[in-house]
Amino acid sequence: MVPAPLLDVHPPAGSPNGEASTSHQKSQKQIRPGNLRTKAERRELQERQRAAKAAKVAANGAPGKQVAKPKEGAPLASAAKPKPTRASDTQSRPAAPVATRAAEKAKAGQAVGTVDTTVKNQARGLLIFSHFGLQKPVSAAKGDIHPAVVRLALQFSTFKITGANARCIATLTAFKTVIQDYITPLNHSLSRHLMTYLSPQISHLVAARPMSVTMGNAIRQLKLEISGTDPDLPEQDAKDALCRKIDTYMRERILIADQVIQETASSKIKDGDVILTFARSSVVEKVLLDAHASGRDFSVVVVDSRPMLEGKRLAAVLSEAGIQCTYLLLPALGSIISEVSTVLVGAHSIHTNGAVYSRAGTALVAMMAKRHSVPVVVCCETYKFSETIQLDSFSKNELAPVGDLFSSFPHNKPRESLTLENKPNLEILNPLYDLTPPTCITAVVTEVGVIPPNSISSIPVALGRLL
Amino acid sequence: MYSIRQVVGSREAALETALVLRQVVSKARFSNIQQLIAVIREVGRRLAEAQPKEHSVGNTVRRVLHNVREEYNSATKGATGASRNVYSISKFVLQGQPRKHTGGAAKSEARITLKENDPSDPDSFARALKPVLMEAIQDVLDELETVYDNVSKNAKDHIHSDEIILTIGHSKTVEAFLKSAGHYRNYTVIVAETAPSYQGHEMARSLSAAGISTFLVPDSSIYAIMSRVNKVILGAHAILANGGLFAISGSLLAATAARAHSTPVVVCAGQFKLTPLWNLYHEHGALDFADPSSVLGFDEGKLVERVDVVNPYYDYVGPELVDVFITNDGDHPPSSVYRLIKETYDDDDHEL
Repeated sequence: MVPAPLLDVHPPAGSPNGEASTSHQKSQKQIRPGNLRTKAERRELQERQRAAKAAKVAANGAPGKQVAKPKEGAPLASAAKPKPTRASDTQSRPAAPVATRAAEKAKAGQAVGTVDTTVKNQARGLLIFSHFGLQKPVSAAKGDIHPAVVRLALQFSTFKITGANARCIATLTAFKTVIQDYITPLNHSLSRHLMTYLSPQISHLVAARPMSVTMGNAIRQLKLEISGTDPDLPEQDAKDALCRKIDTYMRERILIADQVIQETASSKIKDGDVILTFARSSVVEKVLLDAHASGRDFSVVVVDSRPMLEGKRLAAVLSEAGIQCTYLLLPALGSIISEVSTVLVGAHSIHTNGAVYSRAGTALVAMMAKRHSVPVVVCCETYKFSETIQLDSFSKNELAPVGDLFSSFPHNKPRESLTLENKPNLEILNPLYDLTPPTCITAVVTEVGVIPPNSISSIPVALGRLL
Repeated sequence: MYSIRQVVGSREAALETALVLRQVVSKARFSNIQQLIAVIREVGRRLAEAQPKEHSVGNTVRRVLHNVREEYNSATKGATGASRNVYSISKFVLQGQPRKHTGGAAKSEARITLKENDPSDPDSFARALKPVLMEAIQDVLDELETVYDNVSKNAKDHIHSDEIILTIGHSKTVEAFLKSAGHYRNYTVIVAETAPSYQGHEMARSLSAAGISTFLVPDSSIYAIMSRVNKVILGAHAILANGGLFAISGSLLAATAARAHSTPVVVCAGQFKLTPLWNLYHEHGALDFADPSSVLGFDEGKLVERVDVVNPYYDYVGPELVDVFITNDGDHPPSSVYRLIKETYDDDDHEL
């Protein structure tokens, strides 16, 4: 099982001083006049600390994956060693303040591998991306986790279940099982205790993969329902009522919403259209199949990209249904965009300013389409609305695990020519999402109508509900 | 060798072409300049036809022709002096080529007495002119060999400390540029994978081995990370006469995303990539397509039968998306590329 990837470069929990020192050294590069030592002494001290750190890391096990925090130091330490070429002239100057801090920490008794200058320089670059998926690793099965949730977490972390709608439906279904199996302990009321019972289950899922906005909204609604349960109701009735409410939520806000979107969007597809879509959205798939079933004659261009290469599956499904498909990878987009009549994409979530948070690559597709005056239509149910506003793709994103988890490299490419794992000085990042600015989007099709992206914020208010 | 893509890389192709032309000229027999030009053009045409997509072949031939004519003109200086007194657009055009002319005049001061079409000694013309021609071709060769060094000369002025540079594909010119800057500056490079050739992987490995802090990202995240990128540095396959370029597929995405974020786009290329061509009729670049099995492998079976696959090799990036061309001959904006082409090649040679 591959837990959610972390991109914590420096071990924050392990040695907070390490972080402080690196950020401190960002601003200071002069020699501290306090603690002057000879170059040789400083070098010797550094070597000793490096060796101590390496020994500690070797005891922890093989470094390589960004799994637990103490292991974070390992790729850096091993990166530091084969890199003595790194600007040896810059090493003398920062070596002094480095050595002084190192001396202090050595006295504090902590291994300080991150103090090395080369590592500091590297750490500075990587800090910029440390916003991605900041995760606190949850220890395995703290408390008792329901087996349905355990199985679901496993499916999430191995990417067997992907997609905002699929994950939400799977989560709600699993929670129905959990609620049915739940027994209120004596002297507790269901409405209050059930929530505390569910919290570790939810944390377990979040540890497997960061929660999607859809899951978040659904769970929030569920908690609202739980707290509103009539305390006088017998337990089984209460549980049945909750399960019915979950069913209603799924049916109304996902399945029926999808049907309405299907009909609305497919009525926009005319004969002779060339529809372009990116990766694989469950809603767009339904729209295209529906349009084809109603006899419309159109062709589809499926644009696909690593890391997940989901579009291949969509192309298979569509071509099976008899729709004429063209398949290409994202870099080839420039050649084909001038022949496209509409771009149809799905969304993971949509923000109140109209920005669409969707699979990485959607922003590029929308940008190119806008440049060629091709309308971009986003299909999004109202339960995907998020109250926050994100300014760029960094504030909230998720990294896919390093390596060829999705078998997305072509088979005719020899594996030696590819870089599949991190190396010294080389880090692989696979962001899974990106943010499409509202200016690139022409319209959003929801189950309550087709709305321009700027008006997204008024929809929940107009419908009289809090999302 | 060209037609089966055995010579890979624009610079290698250019070098080979120059070497072939040197051999041809050294062995050629001609009694006047027209014959020599015709011989070179014939050879050049055949080489260019063997690999029509490798523009550097044709460019090198044009370059050699230009140098040959220049040497010939300066060797027979007296005859061409009169044309300078004409008051017309042609004077403006001629005076628009100051650099090359003064260079040519300085080189061959020794006035060679040339006897053209001498019936008694048909080889005298050739014999007299050959050393000068060899020098001219050697100039072209020298320039090709020092391309990477000259492009990287000012690398440290273009890249500053703590910058984040985005690049795509595996251009050797860009690689040399970044490594040269890496000796003086501490910065980070993000390399996009560039599917389906995945050349980005090689580039990332090479840069990280040289000690530059590197990130490898899939092409899908180019827009996502662009807000943090300070500069985009691209390589070119060919630079077109309007200042646009053919570059590896994916470059258009990077350049457009950079424009959307007002990030400067820098193109590093040798001057041998300057091509007197226009891309008028096709949105996409160069009509050169690569093997579709790297997009959808034959192991996909049923899918392959039913689905069309498109795999263009190059993108066309318009001049409005590029901020500067860094060549071995200095930095130029896209708007002055037409002038560079006028200076480097002769008008007669646009069609070989």
